[in-house]
Order: sequence, then C-alpha cells, then structure tokens
Amino acid sequence: MSTPLKLVKNLSDEENNYQDISKKKQKQPMVCYDKISKSYGDLQVLKKIDFDIAPGEKVALIGPSGSGKTTLARLLMTLEEPTSGTIKVDGELLWHQKIKGKKVKANEKHLQKIRGKIGMVFQHFNLFPHMTILDNVAAAPIHVAGIPRAEAEEQAISILEKVGLSDKFNAYPSQLSGGQKQRVAIARALVMRPQIMLFDEPTSALDPELVGEVLGVIKDIAQEGEMAMLLITHEMDFAKDVADRVAFFDEGRIVEEGKPEELFYNPRSTRLQDLLSRFRGR
Amino acid sequence: MWNWDYAIKIFPEIFAALKITVTATFVGFALAMLLGLVLAISRRSSVKTVAYGSKGLIEFIRNTPLLVQLYFIFYVLPEVGIYLSPLSAGIIGLGIHYSTYLSEVYRSGIEAVPQGQWEAAKALNFSPWQVWSKIIIPQGLPPVIPVLGNYLITMFKETPLLSAITLVEILQTAKIIGSHSFRYLEAFTIVGILFLILSYPSSVMVRRLEMRMNKSLR
Repeated sequence: MSTPLKLVKNLSDEENNYQDISKKKQKQPMVCYDKISKSYGDLQVLKKIDFDIAPGEKVALIGPSGSGKTTLARLLMTLEEPTSGTIKVDGELLWHQKIKGKKVKANEKHLQKIRGKIGMVFQHFNLFPHMTILDNVAAAPIHVAGIPRAEAEEQAISILEKVGLSDKFNAYPSQLSGGQKQRVAIARALVMRPQIMLFDEPTSALDPELVGEVLGVIKDIAQEGEMAMLLITHEMDFAKDVADRVAFFDEGRIVEEGKPEELFYNPRSTRLQDLLSRFRGR
Repeated sequence: MWNWDYAIKIFPEIFAALKITVTATFVGFALAMLLGLVLAISRRSSVKTVAYGSKGLIEFIRNTPLLVQLYFIFYVLPEVGIYLSPLSAGIIGLGIHYSTYLSEVYRSGIEAVPQGQWEAAKALNFSPWQVWSKIIIPQGLPPVIPVLGNYLITMFKETPLLSAITLVEILQTAKIIGSHSFRYLEAFTIVGILFLILSYPSSVMVRRLEMRMNKSLR
C-alpha cells in the first residue's frame, strides 16, 4: 500500500491510517505505478509495484544495486517498456492510450506528449559531445519546444548560471569535470520545465570530491518546490535532507517506505537495517 | 613499340572521356551515400518487416555481381518499359550496389554512438527523426568519413565496368581508338595512368584525413 506522504504528514499512527486515507478521494498523483512488473527473460526485476508520487513531492529510492530502482525510473522515462501493469502520469496512461474505448499500445505521438512532463538526469551524464554546453542546454528548447534560437539561448544561459556554470557556455563536454558535466545535464533537463524530474544515481559516477557540488544544485532545485522529484541515490544523508518520503527497494519490491526520519532511524526490515549499518560504517 | 606522336595525338580524346567517368563516379557515389543511409536507418527500424526487408535487400545486392545488376538495369528493365541511357543506368547501378557497402559503413559509425546518447535524446523528447538528424548522425558519421573516401576511390576504379553497358567512358573510348588503328598500347596505358594520377593522391588524402581524425578522437 502506498500513499503520497503529504497526505499523512500529520498522522501519528501511519500503519492504520494509510489504509483509510487511500480509500478517500484524493488529489490526483503526479505519477501512479499500478502493479508494474518488468522482466528480462527469466529475471524479474520489478514485482507488481504499486507506487505513487504526488505533485511536487520529492521521493528518494534507496536499495542495493540491482534491486530495480533504476528500472522504475526508466519505465517512466519510456526508455523501457513494462512487462505488465500500467503507469499513469498526471492522470493519463503512459504506455497505453484509449482509442474508441479500447486500450491499445501508445503511439509515438502519445508518448511524446507525456514525455514532455518528465525530465531525467543520468548516472553517466550523457551530454551530447558534439555540441557546446550552451547548445546542449538550448537544443531541446529549439528543436522540441520550437522556441526561437535567441530566446532558447537566453533561457539556457539563465539556467546555466543557476547551476554555477556561467563561464563555460562555449566549452565542449570533454573539457569539463564530471561534476560540471552533471550540472550541465541537470540544466539541460531543467530548461524544459518538467513536472517531474528523475535523478538516476546522479553522483555515482563522480569522484568523491565532486559529489558535493552536484548534490548542492539538486538541493537548491528541490527547495524551489514546484517540481516533483524521484531521486535514486546511495547518498543517505542527501536523501534524508531532500526527500519528503523514502522508499526502500529490495529484490524488485518496495520493502519499506515512509518519512526519511522513520526509515533511517527506525528501520523495520532487517534488509534495510543491514544496508544502513553498512553505510554508517563507511 | 611506344609511339609518342601517336600518344599525344589520342590523349585529348581519352582525356575528354574522363568527364563521363568522373560524372558517373560522383553522381553514383552521392546516390550510394543517400541510399546507404536510408538502408542503415531502416535496418534499425522498430518495425520488424522494414528491418528484415532492408537487411535482406542489402545481402541480396551485396552478394550478386555488379555486372549482373548493370545488365539487368540496362537490358532487362526496358522489357518492362523502363528505358535508361547508359549513363543513367550506370549511375543507378553503381549507386545501388555501393549503397549496400556504405550502409554497413554507416552501421559501424552508428553502433559506435553510445546507448546513453539515444536515451538522453529520448528523455529530452526529441522525435525519432530529430534523434537521428541532431544526435546520432552528427556523431556517427565523422569517424567513418575516411572509410567512405576509400569506397569512393574503389568505385572510381570500377567505372570501366560501365563500358559493358555501352557507356563510352574512358576505357571504352580507348578501346574504340585502339580498334580503329590497331594500336592498343598507347590508349590503354594512358587510361591506366589517368586512373593512377587521380586515385593515388586521393588515397593519400584519405589516409591523412584518417590520421588526423584518429588524433582528434583521442
């Protein structure tokens, strides 16, 4: 059973009240995973996941590598197709559409419409190496949103300044450090004003001394509020600071979820206890 | 044996025919580049029939001789009402035949573009066409330009094959001159030298380009 945290914020006894509240008519979730499964051959990486994200909510996904966290985000970004189940974004089916009352596989046009509400930051940045930093950020506004170049570049410049890269406009990605690359990648996703941003282990590929600058930028964005965020991370302190809610993944299931304080200070499952003690030990 | 006066006398006529050879080469190659790209992209289509169809077509054309294809275009198509001049038939034949080789060249370039580039472009909501034109081709094409250059030279050297479909290109011109005077040595030697003069510097240029690209990719 999963419920957006905001609705249970003031309740003391979540266990019982979770159920009651979820039955009531509630504000439409930003994202709604309904019995989502994903398999690669015999390997089932997601097992009937039910999971919601409220508008503006910051959710952190933690869990061991290979537990299915990244797959959950990739299904939402339409990089992979679920084996079964449905995903709704802003009340609309993502992978399916209704044509004459029949549920059919979504066509590219439908996918594009929904994708426009979602942004993603990748572990390995995936900047476009043949474009300058400015073009990396301005490309989607120009080609996807159809904004005139001058205006798109203005937007790109203001976002790049926000992530602290005002002196790198004409550099190419290969001239940047990992932390700078990831900040460009964040700016590139941000400039399209998504309603939800997915961060897939944004600092896992970085040298330790560069992690801070990237987490700082993400924190700043989180504090602005409006946008929902799905943060897949191994940085527990960061998850605690930024997230409204934390979900612990293990072996394709959500084992535990709740407010960061509860999860981190009072983990119920032994698997989460193990994971946390390993991180504290570092 | 070798007669300088005669060689100098026939040179202008052979040299003039070079125009036809060069035209067939460049127009044919332009066609091959375009068709090759279409084949390379449709080979990766998510529509299975398109993907397998183009793969089948590539294998079929690659594994039958160019000469057979040229004969087919020039001598068989008229039977179904399609009449082509020797030059058009030659250009189309060369273009189609080489497009299958070039599609493999493009393929190696495309496959060298990391998967993350496709995903980032998709996440930014680029349309499939934009993913190709803005992200994949600009990254996949430059590294294979030297290979394309080598195919251009190879194709240039294969144009004498077009004499088989009555195109009066450089070799056919030499043959006609020879058959008039029964002196073949000078005519064929001039043809060989002209090919050498054009091919060798081009292949040196391609090699230089290759070296420069390898350096810049490092």
